[in-house]
Amino acid sequence: MNNTSPKIRIEDAVGLRLAHDITEVRPGEYKGPSFRRGHKVRNEDLCHLMRLGKRHLYQLDTDLNRIHEDEAVLELATALAGPGVTFGHTPQEGKLQLKAAYDGLLKVKCEPLIDFNMIPDVMCASMHNNTPVKKGACLAGTRAIPLVIDRAVLDRAVLTARTHAPVFSVKLFNPLKSKLIITGNEIYDGLIEDRFESVVGDKLGAYGLALSESVILPDDEARIANQIQTYLEDGTELIITTGGMSVDPDDVTRESIRRAGADPMFYSAAVLPGAMFLLAYKGNTSIVGMPACGLFHPITIFDLILPRLLAGEKPDNRDLAQLAPGGLCLNCPTCRFPNCSFGKTG
Amino acid sequence: MDSFEILLEGSAREHGHLCPGQVVGVRMAMLGCERIGLNDPRNSLEEIKKLIVYVEIDRCATDAITYVTGAKLGRRSLKFIDNGIMAATFVNLETDIAVRIASTETSRDLAAKYAPAFLDKGQQQLEGYKRMPEHEMFVIQPVKVDIPIHDMPGPTRFKAVCEQCQAVVRDKKEVSLNGRILCRTCGLGGYYTVPE
Repeated sequence: MNNTSPKIRIEDAVGLRLAHDITEVRPGEYKGPSFRRGHKVRNEDLCHLMRLGKRHLYQLDTDLNRIHEDEAVLELATALAGPGVTFGHTPQEGKLQLKAAYDGLLKVKCEPLIDFNMIPDVMCASMHNNTPVKKGACLAGTRAIPLVIDRAVLDRAVLTARTHAPVFSVKLFNPLKSKLIITGNEIYDGLIEDRFESVVGDKLGAYGLALSESVILPDDEARIANQIQTYLEDGTELIITTGGMSVDPDDVTRESIRRAGADPMFYSAAVLPGAMFLLAYKGNTSIVGMPACGLFHPITIFDLILPRLLAGEKPDNRDLAQLAPGGLCLNCPTCRFPNCSFGKTG
Repeated sequence: MDSFEILLEGSAREHGHLCPGQVVGVRMAMLGCERIGLNDPRNSLEEIKKLIVYVEIDRCATDAITYVTGAKLGRRSLKFIDNGIMAATFVNLETDIAVRIASTETSRDLAAKYAPAFLDKGQQQLEGYKRMPEHEMFVIQPVKVDIPIHDMPGPTRFKAVCEQCQAVVRDKKEVSLNGRILCRTCGLGGYYTVPE
């Protein structure tokens, strides 16, 4: 592509304006532009440029049909960035980072992103879909590969992104009114101390939420169902039940949720830990059945589904099945979630 | 750039009164412009296009800063970050050089040292701030500001329509909530209520 751009010998380059940023890499110390696009090469720059391996420099050669990488990447980023996604005004080394404009859930349209990357001379790499992100977090990076890109190719990439817009967006989290029903005869009878309240409270707290109420009930199908009914009627938006999700005769929470009228109801998920997870809905209320694994494992399927519920999504059984690749927690001695493969679908 | 005295007089006139905040703001703005290599953006079209100023408080000093620099909200050269801190950041868009200057809390008490002849606290500060050395008056930090493209001056690049109230939302200020694109008032709540 750039073979058509005229080259100038470095010895003859004094006075030339650089056609692109020139990157310097000092291992373990620095990687970034040492010279910026547009810099007028001075005599004293020649040694530095030669140390960077430069023996020739390009003479800028753009026109209406040949777009410089910096202008191109602004068009690419504009087409890719949907609501809640922004980017800086100055490309660096031809690249732009897309960033979160506010806290929320990153949504990535994966197929269009792959289609985009199938177009030669452009690229975009991103974080995983459904990742909770903080304002300012880097979500993706994009660039045109060559120094100068054909207008037709650039237009094709922009059209691909626009056709499926938004390829990247960030959904706000809702401050859901959340209540907890802790089930289990052993807790209700005081034989063991409850720890679910603090576990769930901490997980909600990470999103700035607090439990409005929590209650401990025995494994009594009718009482649990009545409590769920009460919460449904008082406008609770997220009901979390813990325990009673397994196969023992005393595990009745799942039936209680059904008895309270939840529909649809999805039981079991392709995630370990969390195979016996339950997700159900009634009206606008989401009901989560958290199995006992939530007490033992610091991170479970609950951590994957909670942000999606807070973002207003209603995951179904297919969503739960799609968690299969990446759904295996490796139980690392030191948990690094979310910086690991757990929950990184596909 | 005009002298400190001339700028202070003009700033006080624009603001409505002469106060310690005017002295702080004028000095802060003069220093900020100098540190980022701009001479007189208020009177130079070429320079004002290179300048973005972030102010972190909406008090007297802010008016002085905008007077001295010529930065304006409507030109998008002035950004208000509601931190409640007497500080401002000056960015040279051409060179990417940026400096954040914050007024020190200790300067309030030090004012008496530099204006001992004045007994009134306000007068002490007004005169003391004129004479106080920079290093006692301010904390000056070189910073990097990655200005989002939607905050840059120039024509509107981004528009969305609120799905609830149909307002046109410019400059990527919309939010995505529960599958809908909304303006911030509809999505996050507004600063006003409509009487019944």
